Amino acid sequence: MGLKATARKNAIHALLVYSGGCNGCDIEVVNAVFSPRYDIEQYRILLTWNPREADVLIVTGAITWAMKEPLQRIYELIPEPKAVLAVGSCAINGCVFRNLVGDIKHNPEVFAPLEKIIPVDIKVPGCPPRPEDIIMAAVKGVPKLMAAP
Amino acid sequence: MTEEQPRESVIVEKELPLGPVHPALLEPFRVRFFVNDEIVEDCEVILSMPHRGIERILEGLPVERALLITERVCGICSNSHAWNSVRVIEKGLNIEVPPRALFIRVIAQELQRIASHLIFIGHAMEVVGHETFAMRAFLLREEYMDMLYFIGGNRVHPAVPVIGGVRPRCEISDSLKRVILETLERSERKLRNYVGRVVADPLVMGRLTGVGYLSKEDAIRLHAVGPTARASGVEWDWRMEMFEYKPFTYDYVILYEGDNKARVIARALEIFECIKIVRQALKDLPEGPVVNRDWSPQRMKFTDSYNEAPRGELYHSYSLDDYGKLRHYKIRTPTITSIHSVEFAAKGDHVTDAVVTIASCDPCLACCNRVEIIDEKSGRRRQFTSMIEVIKKYGWRR
Repeated sequence: MGLKATARKNAIHALLVYSGGCNGCDIEVVNAVFSPRYDIEQYRILLTWNPREADVLIVTGAITWAMKEPLQRIYELIPEPKAVLAVGSCAINGCVFRNLVGDIKHNPEVFAPLEKIIPVDIKVPGCPPRPEDIIMAAVKGVPKLMAAP
Repeated sequence: MTEEQPRESVIVEKELPLGPVHPALLEPFRVRFFVNDEIVEDCEVILSMPHRGIERILEGLPVERALLITERVCGICSNSHAWNSVRVIEKGLNIEVPPRALFIRVIAQELQRIASHLIFIGHAMEVVGHETFAMRAFLLREEYMDMLYFIGGNRVHPAVPVIGGVRPRCEISDSLKRVILETLERSERKLRNYVGRVVADPLVMGRLTGVGYLSKEDAIRLHAVGPTARASGVEWDWRMEMFEYKPFTYDYVILYEGDNKARVIARALEIFECIKIVRQALKDLPEGPVVNRDWSPQRMKFTDSYNEAPRGELYHSYSLDDYGKLRHYKIRTPTITSIHSVEFAAKGDHVTDAVVTIASCDPCLACCNRVEIIDEKSGRRRQFTSMIEVIKKYGWRR
């Protein structure tokens, strides 16, 4: 293992961007995954709030008008290599906010699939996904970071 | 010789924006502090980030399917939204609910209230800077999430109420009852230990005591609700009015200090009252069916319903047309009214304390977004709650 891979492996920083869902996935990620029971720090994945030191971008929620541009800017600020996790049904397909609409047929407030805005590496389905699934997905994203030059 | 002009005094207002993605704010909202030498002179919270147009997409849905969306309004207090939306139609069409279902709804609601208050305490401790207390609060919360998982099959959205009762899957069996009682006993001991330590900790209490004062008059004037208002001495809780809570004996936590410390302690004490209610409900759980399917969607007048969510007063109202489809769904969540009172309370404090004050009303912003008004003079924005006044004055936004 080279020097870069060793350095990366020991401190993977995850940045959480909540882009307007119901708050459930957000709480699951921060309070469950980073809390003592489902301790993701045992895999040396740390939570950060600074895009410039982040490696993994965790996005939850259906993307709303107000959060679309900040999300793109945050994605650009993260240095290469980076992995993007789409956590929850909202980020993957819009969940109820896109698919279960009444008379108006199309909800103009959400830009639901995250893939349309930024490239996504790993998807974690569920409404909200279980903490075990989120941990598994985050760990799966690690080899991509390791393999990068 | 030139005449000396009188110098114009120019007030330079310094602005300190936070958000929408910021460590102090878990959720996407934007706070603008207008500071003068680190003292907050004015504070403004912009809530429009997570606007998903829920009231609009609910328009025209069949009433049974609306429960899927109303539960997903908020991820922390999902049960109170689901419960309140079925209470509207039960009140409007006079649907009889079996007593066992009412008890199970109360149990789910109180378990979620405990989980929500523990999130708040953990988050407040994180903002204050005491990470050990925050982590311990999240660890204590996991037991309550487990109980919700056993009841409903999902940690965050247990989907306990349906129209006419509770989902048959959420039936509380004897073995589950025993598990819940044992967990409550174990957890209550830990909680008493934990809350005692938080209250006795001089570092944490030094940050909270006497900061962000909100008097009772201001709390009533700015319409603070829930534990935020009860920490300022407003003696009101919607559980006093709800017939579901009549069989239980418990106390309402009302404190008179009105500072951040009172707002934290009010929620901490309320946890033990919730445990009391859950114990009584499990003990007196009536026998019988859990759901009454004997109803059909039909025309309903505009009906409203209030509920005590973990953060305070929650309002849902809608009407049904001839085909049983939803019309004019209206939701008012507690944070939208509470956040202005803490906005007011944060004035005059240090910037670091003001962030704690904003967090101390337990803001849950996934659900609150309203009409936005821009003041022409100062260019500042305000969200309003009383729609009728705003519409009379400014007309519809869209």
